Amino acid sequence: MSEEPRIGVFVCHCGLNIAGVIDVKELTEYARTIPNVVVAMDNRYTCADPGQEEIRKAIKEHKLNRVVVAACSPRLHEPTFRRTVAEAGLNPYVFEMANVREFSSWCHPSTPEEATEKAKDIVRMAVAKARLLQGLETIEVPVTNKTLILGGGIAGISAALDLAAMGFKVYLVERGESIGGHMAQLDKTFPTLDCSICIEGPKMVDVSRHPNIEIISYADILSVEGFVGNFKVKIRKNPRYIIAENCTGCGECRDVCPIEFPNEWDMNMGVRKAISVPFEQAVPLVYTINMDYCIECYKCVDACGARQAINFDQKPEEIELEVGTIITATGFDIYIPYDNSLYGYGRYNNVITALELERLILAAGPTGGKLVRASDGKKPHSVVIIQCVGSRDVNKYEYCSGFCCMYALKHSIQLKEKYGDDVEVYILYIDMRTHFKGYEEFYQRARDLGVNFIRGKVSHIIEDPETKNLIIRAEDMALGEPIELVAEFVVLSTAAIPSKGTEEMARILNVTRGADGFFMESHPKLKPIDTATDGIFLAGACQGPKDIPYSVSQGSGAASRAATILSQPTWKIEPIIAVVDPNKCRNTKAKCGICETRCPYGAIKAPEGQPAQVTTAMCHGCGTCVAECPADAITQMHFTDAQIFAQIRTALEKNPQDKILAFLCNWCSYAGADLAGTSRFEYPPTIRAIRVMCSGRVDRDFVLEAFRLGAGMVLVAACHLPYDCHYISGNVKMKARMEALVKIFEKLGLSPERFRVEYVSAAEGVKFAELIKEMTEQMEALGKEEIKAENEKLQPTLEKMLSKKQA
Amino acid sequence: MPMKLLKTETENELKVEMILHAKRYSLTLNKARCTGCGICKEICPREAIEIKKVPKAEGEEAKPPTIDVSEEKCHYCGMCEPICPFGAPEVMVGGEHVVPVIKTESFPQLIREIEVDATRCPLDCVDCEEACPLELIKVSVHTPEGEEVTDIESRQNKENLTVTVDIEKNFCPCCRLCEIKCPEDAIHVLKIFHGNLRINREKCPKDCQDCLDVCPIPEALYLSEDGKIHVNELYCVYCGVCKIVCPEDEALEFNRTYIRHTPVRSGAWNRALEKLTSTEVMKKELQTKSSKKAQESLLESVKKTFPWRTET
Repeated sequence: MSEEPRIGVFVCHCGLNIAGVIDVKELTEYARTIPNVVVAMDNRYTCADPGQEEIRKAIKEHKLNRVVVAACSPRLHEPTFRRTVAEAGLNPYVFEMANVREFSSWCHPSTPEEATEKAKDIVRMAVAKARLLQGLETIEVPVTNKTLILGGGIAGISAALDLAAMGFKVYLVERGESIGGHMAQLDKTFPTLDCSICIEGPKMVDVSRHPNIEIISYADILSVEGFVGNFKVKIRKNPRYIIAENCTGCGECRDVCPIEFPNEWDMNMGVRKAISVPFEQAVPLVYTINMDYCIECYKCVDACGARQAINFDQKPEEIELEVGTIITATGFDIYIPYDNSLYGYGRYNNVITALELERLILAAGPTGGKLVRASDGKKPHSVVIIQCVGSRDVNKYEYCSGFCCMYALKHSIQLKEKYGDDVEVYILYIDMRTHFKGYEEFYQRARDLGVNFIRGKVSHIIEDPETKNLIIRAEDMALGEPIELVAEFVVLSTAAIPSKGTEEMARILNVTRGADGFFMESHPKLKPIDTATDGIFLAGACQGPKDIPYSVSQGSGAASRAATILSQPTWKIEPIIAVVDPNKCRNTKAKCGICETRCPYGAIKAPEGQPAQVTTAMCHGCGTCVAECPADAITQMHFTDAQIFAQIRTALEKNPQDKILAFLCNWCSYAGADLAGTSRFEYPPTIRAIRVMCSGRVDRDFVLEAFRLGAGMVLVAACHLPYDCHYISGNVKMKARMEALVKIFEKLGLSPERFRVEYVSAAEGVKFAELIKEMTEQMEALGKEEIKAENEKLQPTLEKMLSKKQA
Repeated sequence: MPMKLLKTETENELKVEMILHAKRYSLTLNKARCTGCGICKEICPREAIEIKKVPKAEGEEAKPPTIDVSEEKCHYCGMCEPICPFGAPEVMVGGEHVVPVIKTESFPQLIREIEVDATRCPLDCVDCEEACPLELIKVSVHTPEGEEVTDIESRQNKENLTVTVDIEKNFCPCCRLCEIKCPEDAIHVLKIFHGNLRINREKCPKDCQDCLDVCPIPEALYLSEDGKIHVNELYCVYCGVCKIVCPEDEALEFNRTYIRHTPVRSGAWNRALEKLTSTEVMKKELQTKSSKKAQESLLESVKKTFPWRTET
């Protein structure tokens, strides 16, 4: 666009969220004084309909060709306002957001004047970028209308059945031998006490019978490549040593097998044969030989006979699938409290976990449904259930596992209904959490049955060496005094934790995890099912502990979210991609190809003698190649060198020595800074932040330019190493680049604390606030004069370095 | 209760246990019976058994190696119990003496063919009892009423008395000492293991008699007047403990050529047999005991699973 920029600035009060701290009138007045700003106005809620209408009207009235909204984080409402300007006939990419809420009003409430000054800088920086914005055309990619679901628990099953019913092909990949997940391990389900496998079993069979669903069980995900609508997934099918098509599930092989090993499905309380299924209702009903235990006597081969289903030769098989969307439903694990000596788990035979109790009272369990103590094989007459083992514990897992209160009630009701007065049940709890439909009534039922509820924490458990009974000391908070209970059996309601392999899966899928280790949703309220990666959705407890109804709902929710993509013939991708200027590219004259080696996606190719080329649909827009290009021949759309330089210069126009110029990657550090704001962590208003999609985009020259202009401090913040980067390895490339730069600064005599590379995740709001506090203190300790003196010394060298580059 | 894997050791036994909430397993090794020969180690499918050599103290006799069992690795299949010629291990499942591989006929049992014709026994002869190096034989004399007689000399009606020879067969390695020492030819013993044992005396280190020190059967190895060790294969049970303690690789030539056992059709046994004898012996056994068709199918499965094995 060569036309003269006509910029409109719209300042939002956000009720009192912004206006309560920042002087919105002053900010609006100030905006009017910025060159190229033809109109500036404020509104109580810019994102609401009247606010958006005001923007549309102003675009028409004032012939605006650029729009800046000073409001909340672009991570929240950028898409909203892009739509608004598009509705008024502008290209959506001529819009820029000034984040004055998360980055100013929310994090500097006690210094309103400084907050207003900072907001002015933020607006001026946004306007500087807006001047240089160009309209971009959205890229459309085809959509493969198949989906991949990871994990065959109840959430994955629900999602699979829904999508299959809509007519989409579903691949349901399960790591274990059978689908069903934790629900298939349970005896009864709350609050109705129906038999768990009786209600899940038919669903499992439906999955196996549905023509649109293909179950790929006993398989691992090796890699996921591609992008929304076009994922390529490599899967390894592990050998069962059984030919699935020939196996009838009769079990004759199991009967002749001599070898037994602990059954994980039974929490290792019972055994299964070396050739077996984990439980009778397994789907698919195909036996598996555990080669760790098999002695290869071939008795099973004889028993199988003419069916010839056994093949000791089977090898792992790799397959590749093409899908349009991925639903992650990888579930949770149960915390096994070996490391908590307080409860004596593993030391005292009569202390078990709730999931072990579940297998004990299940008729198909290792004891045939008999509740017996491990120490003497007798039925206990007093059972103490202890809540929050691992959960709500600052030393272990800080979060509430959500469903433990309900299953403890379930267990106590089951015990009382089966054994009546023959068993005394106590529940030791911190809080009883029985929200959701029918749950409070369930709690009342337990009370009516005579379950003893004691509010208090356990301080000590010891075992009577003779009777093997357990003596529990606790504090009764209702009485306000210590109590002592003698129990024949202790059941621990242990925390739900991220399932084994969640970390690896996060890396393969490029999905971030929260501080609790569970997968993180795109937005906790408005996008609870989406991940930050387009086309990948979450269902069930892999996102956080969930009970069955909640998991089923989220499974259906994920199915519907996936269907919004699968039902379209094409999908629009943000055009924030890399573009090569063939005239500048050095690869035509010399062998360069640096960009090709740096691209995490293999989206850029530099054939010998030809300029580098970008495969548009494969480019994820991290900008790493742009920063690495020695000839500055590559441009990242919407994050061009010119735009970022303009932001740097604007930010450092006034009093640069008092400011921390920060480059924050969109997915982790910018989100972490947003979280600091959302959480109202206050930190000094010294920072001026520039958003880049990935830290890999941060060009060496950006840092040099900042110091040339006299910045007090420079911060580059990225996702945690090694795997948190949303663009696979942009942070790793940035680290290498910045380490080289640090050496140069050392030689030049720059105080080392003035340039900092940090790793802040989207969950680390506290860390971000602390970091800025610390840096500000360091900056003040150095002192203005020292910084100014250093800068004067550095400036000529920096100017030389930058001018050489431009020539 | 979470699974527990335990190991306990006393002077007389080594015990490993897997205790589950609903079932418990144990393997007990009777240290008095164990000679440290390592046959069990050879065939253990989980490599759970380890032979530990006992260092020789200056001026003392060599001691037989000891056996260690890993509680982490053992999975109580029970193969070590029936294969032990000395009957040292015992497997218990759920509180009962059960050998899983025997129950499903996945492994054979050793055949101890010991025939005693006690009618030939003189009343006062206890030669076999004295000959048995493992103290497994008990000779007793009874009246027709079944009363045990201890004072034969002072008895009248000696012709009414009968002699009983009790042998604890399960722990007998069938060395034949009792047979050979019996003056009346009343005992007949067939060996369990057949094989060859030669000593290349020129390779023996000077004054070394470690093999002799650890041999559980007296007279199977003996020190002759020339000061060298000789083999009497008549008594050798081919347990192979001599080979384990021998400090020189080539001083002892040892191999097994045949194992007398109950018939069985099992890949696990074929593998065990091959390890204890040789591929040739294993093949030969497959040929002799199976009909051509069955043998082919078995060999086929061996070929499929262990292609390297049939290459020779």
